[in-house]
Amino acid sequence: MKKENDLECTTEIYNYYGAKPEGGFLSREEKKSATPRVEKARQMYFDTKSSASVEFPYWYTRRWEELEGEVQIIRRAEALKSGFEHLTPAILPGELLAMRKANYLRGSYPMPWMSEGFFLSKEDDLFKEVQNAGKASADEVTTMGQGGGNVTKSVGSVISIAGKFGLRKEEMPILIKVAKKWFNKSVDDIGHKYEQLVPGYGTKEEIMRAVICMFDSGYTLPQGREVMNYYYPLQFGIEGIKDICKEKQASVAGVPGMDRLYFYKSVHTMLEGLQAWILNYAKEAKFMASLEENAKQKDEYLEIAERLEWLSKNRPRTFHDALQLLWIFHVAVLNEDPISGLSPGRVGQVLYPFWKQDMDKGVLTEEKTIELLECMRMKFTELDCFASMGVVGGVLSGNTFNNLCVGGLDKDGNSAANELEMLILESAMSCDVPQPTLSLLYDEKLPEEFLIKGVECTKIGTGYPAWVNNRVAMEFLLNNFKKEGMALEEARAWAIGGCLETSPGSWMPLEVNGETYYIPGGSAPATSVGVHFISLPKVLEAVLYDGLDKRTGRRVYPAHGSKLESYNDIWNVFKHYFSITVEVLTLTNNIQHDIWGKISPSIINSMLKPDCLEVGKDISNKGCRYNRTFNVEICGGVNLVNSLASIKKNVFEEKNFSLAELKAAIDANFGYLSALETGSYSLIEQVKTANYTDWLKIHKQCLDAPKYGNDDKYVDDLFKEWQIWFSKMCENYISLYNEPMYSCQISVSTHAPMGAVTLATADGRLCGTTFADGSVSAYPGSDKNGPYALFNSATCYDHSLSQNSQLNMKIHPSVVKGREGSRKFLEMIKAYLRKGAFHAQFNVVDSRMLKDAQKNPENYRGLMVRVAGFTQYWVELGKQIQDEVIARTEYEQIG
Amino acid sequence: MKHFDCKYYMNTDVFKGICKRDKNIINADDESCNHFENAQKCKHCSNFKSTQADLGMCMNKYDAYPEMLAVTCNDYKPR
Repeated sequence: MKKENDLECTTEIYNYYGAKPEGGFLSREEKKSATPRVEKARQMYFDTKSSASVEFPYWYTRRWEELEGEVQIIRRAEALKSGFEHLTPAILPGELLAMRKANYLRGSYPMPWMSEGFFLSKEDDLFKEVQNAGKASADEVTTMGQGGGNVTKSVGSVISIAGKFGLRKEEMPILIKVAKKWFNKSVDDIGHKYEQLVPGYGTKEEIMRAVICMFDSGYTLPQGREVMNYYYPLQFGIEGIKDICKEKQASVAGVPGMDRLYFYKSVHTMLEGLQAWILNYAKEAKFMASLEENAKQKDEYLEIAERLEWLSKNRPRTFHDALQLLWIFHVAVLNEDPISGLSPGRVGQVLYPFWKQDMDKGVLTEEKTIELLECMRMKFTELDCFASMGVVGGVLSGNTFNNLCVGGLDKDGNSAANELEMLILESAMSCDVPQPTLSLLYDEKLPEEFLIKGVECTKIGTGYPAWVNNRVAMEFLLNNFKKEGMALEEARAWAIGGCLETSPGSWMPLEVNGETYYIPGGSAPATSVGVHFISLPKVLEAVLYDGLDKRTGRRVYPAHGSKLESYNDIWNVFKHYFSITVEVLTLTNNIQHDIWGKISPSIINSMLKPDCLEVGKDISNKGCRYNRTFNVEICGGVNLVNSLASIKKNVFEEKNFSLAELKAAIDANFGYLSALETGSYSLIEQVKTANYTDWLKIHKQCLDAPKYGNDDKYVDDLFKEWQIWFSKMCENYISLYNEPMYSCQISVSTHAPMGAVTLATADGRLCGTTFADGSVSAYPGSDKNGPYALFNSATCYDHSLSQNSQLNMKIHPSVVKGREGSRKFLEMIKAYLRKGAFHAQFNVVDSRMLKDAQKNPENYRGLMVRVAGFTQYWVELGKQIQDEVIARTEYEQIG
Repeated sequence: MKHFDCKYYMNTDVFKGICKRDKNIINADDESCNHFENAQKCKHCSNFKSTQADLGMCMNKYDAYPEMLAVTCNDYKPR
């Protein structure tokens, strides 16, 4: 071991990669409170645990088995119908919007028809078989939040599943029994059987085992990251849609193209199930009213009953009706598949006709509107998605990404912001809960008053709205959907699906009181399907180690055999390995999605999405107006580019050390314990080993290498080269819907588990620590030249090449205080978006508060932070993400 | 009998719920009060036959489980 006196550099090398936040902290600005009704509901939510039930899968499976031999989509519709009509209703006192996913407040349930292996008993041979397929690797390296509503341990009569969901132990035997019925029949199992026919399938298995890819696509979250379309129920009501189905059925029965007949029949059947579900709730509301002594509460129950009875057949009469119907269909789609990122879209524009009508008639006030919108926020916040630990923890962080958009342009190109959207922002400030998260579709045409309202919402620390560039999104859409007929007018109908996926929409003619309003809504299937989250630093690691996963010692890629004698050698092998990854994952996931469409097609969401109902095709048969939505997602791009810059400069240009020496240093984790040993996942709190000084010099040189985020041309050029190559190469791969793929750049929470399995990297990052978040966020602590230098780095390439880009910034509350702070904040956001950036989101928080929250979580049940495209309660985040958020650079100046 | 088995018990999560009568929060597994009435569950249905712990058969042809709520089941027949 070298003595410290003999070293050529200081031993204190971390002080500029994020300082430990210490001392007292400044709180966020005071905010308004929610209405008493909603505040009560929020407190109840805080006291409620995520809970799973077997009711829906039981009835679904029972009906499915009865109908063996039936046309598949009819069988599916009947199974869904049975699930819905048997859901036990529950209505809490004080609720103005009724109905839930399941009979628990934060209820969800397994869907074994998608994937059943997860629910099998660990002692079961079938379970072991599933484990051997390498699908559980992401689960093993994911940490779940230990607080909030997560059921982290089995207690008494409750069994913990995936460290999050509680299941009553008396339901476990039937769950296992139901799960077994799907063995070799689920989308997962059948897809697995056929994906093995893809050449290079063995490589795919190794890619999954090494967690180079986070998870499969077709059976995990086959829908979502898309925008809902509520047009048909709002315009026609349920009976009206059933009438359309009957007419269409009659016109296609016996006519070639018979799948249309079965589709219309399945929609009709499924709607009958929804009607029964709604009426069960109406009956329960009457029962609750019968027990109620409080006259006001009794009236509210009876109003719920009357409203639900009406909506079980008819189109809405009022804003309240319309909001209730919107919620019913939102939940109905969520009950169809495991889904994350089902965005309600531009709700303020969709519901505006009903709101305006009620306001004009004087039957609605702004105060009542806010109360209803707050109730809607609670409903969305209660949503849970039942999935494996790797998916629900490692990707979603317990969130479900229902994104509500405000702003943007209308059909004619004018500002679409309206008074109802102002109230949506207001309610999101008074009822600051994680969902729906908000995105503001920024356009120069939006009024200043609206933008200031958006900033005021962002700066109280909600993390929303995210700021998204309307023009960049439209450019992306016109580039990619022109072939399917998209024109400028329709490009304006877009919204964010999921946390940050640009999604195509369309304008539909809603008639209210004799007037026609063109309302926007999603008109494309799921996006962020295809290739899920490739870990770029892990691919580079495989390049350095000749195709091996050093963590497990397993071979992932064929040996490249190159001596890697130049930077170009490394870059070329990286591109080769990355291309192998995209190719095999595209092919295997195409098969999974094909199987999904064949045995478990979407019926409810298909019915809603133009033009499925018109043409008689479900989503998986390209019934949507726009179908080019498969993408290739990546993670860890900034760590990749910083590492490439370090290798280029240190190894090949300045020859500070050889590649062999770099690999030795990586093997030794630069003389530090790994994050998995210390339980700390950022660079600011790591533990040295006895021989760390042996690696100190090389580590410092890695840390000193040019870093993205500082307006440094050296590394920004590499970033640009990567971006252009990546976006172009995605087009070489063809999705199930026979369209080229495109690039998608979000990390969600995957930068944590993917960092956990990755060795130290050439940029100085240590083994197991979390990667930089998003796609254009700087690595925590490495952006030293202020926000505008970061903006220059981030916009060194054309953001419209990709479905999105993602920038997270952490701002100290003192910087944006007061009206003047709001203006400065808005000017900074505008400056970034005017440079052609796609997206920025902000945590306005003092890092010392987060540190205190980590030590004393019991004092911070309501504390929310922005992660990467979503806002979540601090206590429900895993430590891997918490540490990364604490370590992010905190800007104390933005001017 | 437990609250969990009562007609007036409404789940909020797997641990607890609300009494529909007085709106108090109660633990699922605590002993119930004098107002207790059997919840409509499979175990109280004449179509249900127990086969082993936490499992049984419905109408001699479907797997079922005794604790399942059957308030929405058209075939429910109280014993």
